[in-house]
Amino acid sequence: MGEALNMFVEEAQGIAAHFDPQTVFSIGGSNVTQYVIWLFIALAVTFIVILVAAKKLKLVPTNKFVNMVEYGYDFVNKNVAEDVIGNGFKKHVPFLATLFFFILICNFLSLIPGFKTATGAISCTWALSVISFVYFIVYGIKANGLGGYIASLAPSGVSGPLKPVIWFLELFSTVIRVLTLAVRLYGNMLAGHMMLAIFAIATTCFLQVSLFSGSMDLIAGLPSIAWFLLLVLIYALECLVAFIQAFVFAILSASYIGGAVHPH
Amino acid sequence: MEITLALAALKVVGYGLAAIGPGIGIGIATYGLCTSAARQPEMKGQLMGYFFIGAAMSEALALLGLVLFFIG
Repeated sequence: MGEALNMFVEEAQGIAAHFDPQTVFSIGGSNVTQYVIWLFIALAVTFIVILVAAKKLKLVPTNKFVNMVEYGYDFVNKNVAEDVIGNGFKKHVPFLATLFFFILICNFLSLIPGFKTATGAISCTWALSVISFVYFIVYGIKANGLGGYIASLAPSGVSGPLKPVIWFLELFSTVIRVLTLAVRLYGNMLAGHMMLAIFAIATTCFLQVSLFSGSMDLIAGLPSIAWFLLLVLIYALECLVAFIQAFVFAILSASYIGGAVHPH
Repeated sequence: MEITLALAALKVVGYGLAAIGPGIGIGIATYGLCTSAARQPEMKGQLMGYFFIGAAMSEALALLGLVLFFIG
């Protein structure tokens, strides 16, 4: 027991290094890490899924695959765009659906053992959140004009000397959105995968000590069953988190767009 | 060596402290959403938008703590 625990602690300490971006090859001075490769794989999968589904579009879909993709699009249309943005949501559905599908496929790819998620690298999530940030600011300026958008940061109804204070706080909370969108996705994906890795390491450590440490000691291997069950539970939780994070990213982008387009 | 270890430990403690407030805040926001959606289910779609804004705002504090954990 003690031996396995020592081994587990030793192995678990080096786990963060496995999640660091490592350069696979360089093109013209810029390094390509494994996360970039997984980003392009996720991009290719997204393209294939959407193009295959779009090719077989019918008024009444009979194909199961097409039905699934359409359900996802309809989910974004109804639950994300219409409920949150309100008036004039149709224009923003393609953008939100792109974000949702891409992040969902990134997250789900990583649940296959041996695969990595591009959203587990901070640079990728920064790029996604900057896209969303620029999008809602551009549409806010288009809808209200530059002066109107800047003034609309402070909610109407606030008057007197309180107005600049509220405006400044709202400005801060607007600017910080780009950070929180990026860090939320990155933190959730990285922490989830680290948790999976820790439980997997615990399972193997106890199994290894019980089977391969000279004498067969089956009692010492019993905790690994518990670790494995926990691993399966965490895996199920990660499936949920993978979906929820894609949904949250899309719905937050939608509510930022809604707030920018129809100021209160 | 000891100073590095103490710094690393303090970062973890700092993140833990940063997560207390947002945890309570998101709990209260979810409570509010549940009770008001039970009262008026037709308002649920609109309330979800407010809920996500509020939850994101309070979660921002925990995420700032996480960022400090990485850069500090």
